[in-house]
Amino acid sequence: MKNLLKTQDLKAYYRLVDGTDIRAVDGVTLDLRPNEVLGIAGESGCGKSTLASVMSLTHNPPLRVIDGDVTANGSNLLTMPTEQVRQKIKGRYISIVPQGAMNALNPTQRVRNFAIDMLREHFPEMKKDEAIDLAAARIDELGLPRRVLNNYPHELSGGMKQRTTIVLSTLLDPKILIADEPTSALDVSSQKSVISLLLALLKDEIITSIAFITHELPLLRQIATRIAIMYAGKLVELGTMEEIIFEPLHPYTEALMSTMLVPERHVREQRIQSIAGVPPDLKAPPKGCRFHPRCPKRLPVCSTEEPPAKEVGDRTVWCWLMQ
Amino acid sequence: MAFMIAVSLNFFLPRLIPGNPVRVLISQLAEGGVQSDALARIYDNYMREFGLDQPVYIQFFRYFTGLFKGDLGTSFMLYPGKVADLIKEALPWTVALQVPTILIGWIVGNVIGAVCAYKGGRFDAVVFTSALAISNVPYYCLAIILLYGLAVHNPIFPVGGGYSFGSFPDLSWSFLGDALYHYTLPFLSMIVVAIGGQAIGMREMALYELTTDYVQYSKALGLRDQKVVRYVFRNAMLPQITGLAISFGMMMGGALVTESVFSYPGIGSLLFTAIRQTDYPLIQGCTLIITVAVLLANFLVDIAYGFIDPRIRAAQLGER
Repeated sequence: MKNLLKTQDLKAYYRLVDGTDIRAVDGVTLDLRPNEVLGIAGESGCGKSTLASVMSLTHNPPLRVIDGDVTANGSNLLTMPTEQVRQKIKGRYISIVPQGAMNALNPTQRVRNFAIDMLREHFPEMKKDEAIDLAAARIDELGLPRRVLNNYPHELSGGMKQRTTIVLSTLLDPKILIADEPTSALDVSSQKSVISLLLALLKDEIITSIAFITHELPLLRQIATRIAIMYAGKLVELGTMEEIIFEPLHPYTEALMSTMLVPERHVREQRIQSIAGVPPDLKAPPKGCRFHPRCPKRLPVCSTEEPPAKEVGDRTVWCWLMQ
Repeated sequence: MAFMIAVSLNFFLPRLIPGNPVRVLISQLAEGGVQSDALARIYDNYMREFGLDQPVYIQFFRYFTGLFKGDLGTSFMLYPGKVADLIKEALPWTVALQVPTILIGWIVGNVIGAVCAYKGGRFDAVVFTSALAISNVPYYCLAIILLYGLAVHNPIFPVGGGYSFGSFPDLSWSFLGDALYHYTLPFLSMIVVAIGGQAIGMREMALYELTTDYVQYSKALGLRDQKVVRYVFRNAMLPQITGLAISFGMMMGGALVTESVFSYPGIGSLLFTAIRQTDYPLIQGCTLIITVAVLLANFLVDIAYGFIDPRIRAAQLGER
């Protein structure tokens, strides 16, 4: 299967001052395919934002990649020289919508000037006027008011700031957009406009694929084509949106879905259930399957050995029940 | 309002110093062997001349009206020298000493601080630690050490004064050269401390700015480091500008000790002698200059902020 971006056995740990590691991403294999929205979901602290920062090559110490690859077009981006990554990949192939997008824009700079700086960084021969025209054309195309170009960030509302950030992120027509909780600080109507902006970018073929990181499952129901569920630094299940939401195989996915209010007929009668217990400490995750201490269906083998990946059709499940 | 309160304090505070200034003058004359009835006449004469025989509120009224006419009174010690003339003479020396020190110290300190924050690692460890150590040396200690090391022990530089004894202040090259030569030590003693202090402040601000979302975001979109550092530098500068203004405000009084140590003919030395000799009008004049300088600096900062920070500009214009 052709893919735009692939992580292979990716391990990224936060190294603490005392030398211990927090294994936020611990062996994740994941591919991002053309023309899809890949949702990455899990509860707080499961490592999904860490995964996003490594996939977008924006990770900084104390987070370091211990093992594994992030490949695109057959080349390993993690070993590529930093300067080359900056020139060829960042903003042009992979772009981001940051988690704290509210403060993602320089407070003392007009939006216009950041657009100029960014475009001219990648195309030094471009004139300032051309850069502004290009940004204005894109803003018109996506239905934002043109005035945002002349505004300072503090003059924009939260939703408008987030949409402006998305437009700036995609000015260079990147293939991949990695959106890390782009809507978590927004009210519902702003969320909706952000989602439709992302879908418009896909439809206009400005970008090819989105990796959408969130803890809000109903959002993924709206936007995702495939979903990866993460638990304690590892993937537990990866499949299409329908499979994951309606026919979860892994007990954790199942438990996660039962916490969600979905207005579908077959779930309407069910009670909302919370998952017993708390997520494990990522400094010393449990042996075997990381979910086993909280799992209602655990087998003896779950506490001793890690479950291998099991392909079920096009989806992958990491659970001993499937073996 | 602030100005009125300050002006009043300028008047009353010197008068709280114990001792009658005229008696001090008279006692100096007495050492010269003047007759005692003559001394009494001179005493009365001086008291009348300086208006000290009047009640305090009348003195205050006279001071106040004089102020509006630009008359700062007559110095007791350097009678019949006008306070305004004495200050006018000393002011250029202080400005010449302080403005370059503050500006250069501020610019160099900020650049060093920003580079420290950005580079981190060993460079930061070495430079930051030395800046911390240097900025905590009291500048008068440094002044005395420099004076001893470079003027007394190894007479490379003159011991004090603003220019050589016997030369007359004018704008000739030889005089400027001479003044610069005398200028070196006081300048050094202050700038080293200034650089250290500014560098520490800037480093903290820049370190904070470097963790902000817009830095991460700009880098994620492939902006080169130089560009991002420019954003950071500008934003980290904002609080530093307040620091610059405060330095300018304190400029007039700030070098009091340095000027005394080097017998530099500026406002600091003038104020120092004035206080020692309870010369009310001269103290009032000097502190007035300091007050005006602080208020003016604050005013200018408010204006400068508006230019640099769009958020504050919006607030000032009531756009919010």
